[in-house]
Amino acid sequence: MKKYLLLMSLMLSVTVAYAENIDISGTVQSRCIINTDTAGAYGNPNAYTLNTTAADGGQKPIVRVDVSLANAYYAQVSYPTSFSSSPSLGDTVAWTGAVNAVQTSSSDMSGYQAASTTTGSMRQYALTIAGTTWFDVASAATYGGGNQKPFPGGSYKAVVLAECIAQ
Amino acid sequence: MYRSIILIVLLCGNAIAHEMTPTYPKWSVSHMQGIHKTTMEIFNRRKDVEYYEIGIFDEEWKPVPFVTSYKILKIKHLSSVKFDVYMSAKHSPRAEYICSISKLRGDNMMIASKICSRFK
Repeated sequence: MKKYLLLMSLMLSVTVAYAENIDISGTVQSRCIINTDTAGAYGNPNAYTLNTTAADGGQKPIVRVDVSLANAYYAQVSYPTSFSSSPSLGDTVAWTGAVNAVQTSSSDMSGYQAASTTTGSMRQYALTIAGTTWFDVASAATYGGGNQKPFPGGSYKAVVLAECIAQ
Repeated sequence: MYRSIILIVLLCGNAIAHEMTPTYPKWSVSHMQGIHKTTMEIFNRRKDVEYYEIGIFDEEWKPVPFVTSYKILKIKHLSSVKFDVYMSAKHSPRAEYICSISKLRGDNMMIASKICSRFK
């Protein structure tokens, strides 16, 4: 009888031990990652134009923005409005450009482009859903203030700015 | 003439990235009286960028004075750097955004990435 009671008490204590709760805690940290996915290049379809469109021999740069939480960031992408380096330019350069959300990781994000706003050369997107968005940037520069003057020979560089701003 | 113009590579082709955490930093009391402190971390996956500049701004994007060991941090590819930012208690309520922006140089053209966390 004693052995039986001892065995029962041992079994109960083991059962109690297994019934203990063990907490697993963790946090999901909000973050934004800016990826520069695709190389960009200016094509030179004529003497006075530099353009990133494929038809002109150029390539649009593509920026990818990943966010891990909804409603935590704005993405802001700006096309260039000046050269960061170039030969000496005596005449004016006219800049045009556009930013587009070309792909998203979820169809729920398909309204990003329509909901975006622009300020000058910058387009702002409210990233209301966690996931990935790809933006392409079109840029064109025309030299000569409407007189179609040829760009001086040399290397031309311009900068696209991609930003993640916490909301 | 125009054929002599060199086509411009705007950026390198591989997937490269810039990341900064936390998204919502908080000021804490430092070991110095009247000075607040927060700690940030930047992870550099951009092969074409070695340096990032730190800036703190108010709600209208005007700069707010702060102190770090270096305002321009050297961060090797695929490594992260934690850094402390100090600000006087007088100025810290004005601080709204803390930003890191990639520093481009040489031929490594040409997407600048900027990430701004927000004090709440």
